[in-house]
Order: sequence, then structure tokens, then C-alpha cells
Amino acid sequence: MNPWIAIGALGVVSIGIPLGMMAVSALLRPSVPEQGKSAIYESGEIPTGTARLQFNIQYYMVALLFVIFDIETVLIFPWTVIYRSALEQGASLTEVLLPMLVFIGILVVGLVWAWRNGAVEWVKSPLAESRKTERQT
Amino acid sequence: MGTLLLQSQTQTPLVDTIAGLLGLDGLLGAVVGGLLGAFLIANVMLVTTAVAGPWAKRKITASFTDRIAVNRIGPFGLLIIVADAVRLMSKELIVPDGVDRPAWDLAPIILPFSALMGFAVIPMGSGVHLADPEAGLVYAFAVASIASLGLVMAGYSSNNKYSLLGGLRSVAQNIAYEIPLIVTAASVVIFTGSLQMSEIVAVQAEPLVTVAGITIPQWFAFVNPFAFVLFLAANLAEVGRNPFDTPEAPTEIVGGYQTEYSSIYFVLFYLGEFIHIFLGGALIATLFLGGPAGPGPEALGFVWFTIKIWAVFLFTQWCRSAVPRVRIDQLIDIGWKGMLVLSFANLVLTAIIVGVIV
Repeated sequence: MNPWIAIGALGVVSIGIPLGMMAVSALLRPSVPEQGKSAIYESGEIPTGTARLQFNIQYYMVALLFVIFDIETVLIFPWTVIYRSALEQGASLTEVLLPMLVFIGILVVGLVWAWRNGAVEWVKSPLAESRKTERQT
Repeated sequence: MGTLLLQSQTQTPLVDTIAGLLGLDGLLGAVVGGLLGAFLIANVMLVTTAVAGPWAKRKITASFTDRIAVNRIGPFGLLIIVADAVRLMSKELIVPDGVDRPAWDLAPIILPFSALMGFAVIPMGSGVHLADPEAGLVYAFAVASIASLGLVMAGYSSNNKYSLLGGLRSVAQNIAYEIPLIVTAASVVIFTGSLQMSEIVAVQAEPLVTVAGITIPQWFAFVNPFAFVLFLAANLAEVGRNPFDTPEAPTEIVGGYQTEYSSIYFVLFYLGEFIHIFLGGALIATLFLGGPAGPGPEALGFVWFTIKIWAVFLFTQWCRSAVPRVRIDQLIDIGWKGMLVLSFANLVLTAIIVGVIV
């Protein structure tokens, strides 16, 4: 039988279970709205400002690299599947291994370049650095 | 193994068994059998999580820190599971001001959904194996990474700065450790030549060496221990456990993305995280520890599988108690400058060694 029918069935069940738990909880739980109860939690202080603000994604360059490497893994998987059987059927190493080594090599050169340019880092915001009050050691 | 590429025969062992028992066949059998099988598997994981979350986790952590933990309700405090389930279900749901409503409600559904879906392709032994598509391994990684989406939704929709930070951190962590995880898994696929889970398990059943009359099977943890350690570490980061638990670091950002969640929504987050740990354990067991294989008859497979995923769970709890948390910038460094390079070295070395041997 088609395995994807079973997987789809599991999808239905695994959405149904959280929904069922929510429904049971909705029947059981009390609802006592009070003033101040629904305030967002900021360590007990009165919340200041909103969380919908412009922020510094400090791993932006890393996220771009991730896209490249993610596509790379997609391209590596088919090769890993055929690699061993191709060798067993008499293909030579230069035919099946060398192209992949070149492919990975190009990406490694790219990674080294990004690394040396400081892209693979948690970017520290200059503003936050200048406002830092803790003692520099 | 040369014909594996062309092999289009895929199976649904558990579904076939159930459909056979009910005397149904064709599409109706597939759908009814699939639903019942899926229900069975989901409930097995729910029970596992119910034992792990309120009881085993407390007991394990207590043992590490020299305490006693739950021991009042029932034998060994086991009935705390029931008490906690009722307690958490009947908590008031507090909806904070200004949350982004559909996203805030959807996030707790997505998390357990993504983790439960992964179990569709895991061979649990004793015939408990829902579906066995050819792309099983890739499928498991694909659905497991949907969880990040839920975390970002929770973080951004909560209208809380701590949640926002937690959501951003969880993405940073997931993108840093997903590549090492998958590339390490690819080095296992080099040995098996197949992405099908049953095939990966079958290859590991072959003997590796025989020492003093005891045959050691070809589990990839023995064949390539380096990849095993890498995968174990990357998996810790993937499920967000110490030392990589910065997204919800309680001493820094309260609860991270789950700060604003209460009642059943919080339970669903918790549930999702625990099922995710067990999914990680199931992937480790399948890829590196021979799946449901073990001494004794084949019917014991499910017992061995359970022991293996609990062993991985115990390991994560051990790390939780024993290893300090890394800072978020260190985490990026370890992921991109350490694990990524090591995992590619592992892949290339494995390919070269297999090339020379075969």
C-alpha cells in the first residue's frame, strides 16, 4: 500500500491530538479575567513599548550561508545514495569521488572566505557595545 | 544493493497488519489501517512522553542533584503523571495583551505535530512501523525541522521581548546545527546506499567482527564512532537541550518563546519538546544503534527500541544536569566553525575510506 496514505493519516492524528487536548482543557479550565492579569510578563515591571520593533538580526550573514549549505546538503544526498553501489559496479574513484570533492572544496573555500571576512559570527551591535555598563576586563 | 535506486517497492507493515486483521483491503484498508496505526503510534509516543515529562525527568534530575523528588502519590510517585495531567489541563488560559492571535494559537499545535510526524517512518521493531517510503530519512529531517517555524511564530506573536529573543535564538541555533546533523546522517547513507529506514536497519544487522564467539553487529556507532558523537552533539542542539538551551535559558530570558504561554498551550509546547527529544533518540537509534535490533527473538524489537530511545533521553537529562550552557555567540562559533567543519571532514573521510575498501 502507498506509505504516504499512512503518513497523511498520522498527520491528521497529530493535528487531532493537540486540538483534542485543547478542547478537553477548554471544558475543564476556569476563566477569571482580572485587571492586570493579561499584561505581558517583563520580569514583573510594567511593560514598556511593544515587541513589534525593528531589531538587529545578529546572525543575518549566517542565515544567508545556511541557505547555501542547505541546498548543498540536498545535492549531496543523491550522491551518497548511489556512491557505494556505483563503486561496486566498477566505477573508478576519479569518476564518483573526485567531482564531489571538487564540489565540497568550492564550498569550503567559500566558507573560509566568509569566515575570514567575519561573516560567520554573532554580530555585536555597535550601539549596544557603546552603552555597555559592565566593567571591561 | 545495486538495484536499490530503481526499487520502487515501499511498504506499510503496520497498516497492512491492521488492515489484514480487520479484513479490509484496497484504499479503504489503507485509510482505516493508516488511521488506526497512526493513532497507535501517536499514543505510544504520548504515553512515553507522559512518563518522561512529569515523572522520569524529575526523578532523573533529582538523582543527579541528590534529592528524592516525587514520591507521595502512588508507587514511586508514579501517579503524579495523572495528577499533573489533570492539574495542567485545568489551568486557566491567560491570553496576554496584544498577541497576534492566529499565530499565537497555531504555534502550540505545530510543535507536537512536527515531532509526531517524524515517527511515521521510524521502525520501532515487532512490526510497529507505520510507513516505509524510499525517502524516509530525508522525510524525518524535513518534518522535524518544521518545529523551528512553530518556535518563531510563538516568539514573534507573543508581543513579548523575551519571547522575541527566544524565537530568534532558536532559529540561530537550528540553522547552525541542522547542517552538521544532516551531513553526518549523509555519511551513514554512504554505507547503506539507501534512505529507506528499513534498509538502513537491515544493513546494520550484518556482522562486523566476531570476538570470542560473540558477534558484534555492524551498528554504525561501532563502524564510525566519530559520526555517532557528532550526531549526538548536533542532536542536543537540535532539540534545544543543555549545553545548547539558550533559546529558553531561564536565567537570561525567562522562558524564551514560551514565556507568555499558560495552561494547555504550555503543555503542548512541553509535549512537543519531549516528543522531539524522543524523535532525536529514535533517529539516533535507527541510524547508529541498529534500530530495534538486539539480543533475543525478533518480537523483543520494540523493547530494545524503547530502551535505546530512553538511553538517549537519559543522556540529554545527564547533559542538562552536568553541562553548563554556552553563550549564544559561542553557540554560533561552535556550530559554524567547529561542528560544520568536522561534519564535512567526516563525510569526506568516510567517502574516501569506503572508496578504498570497496
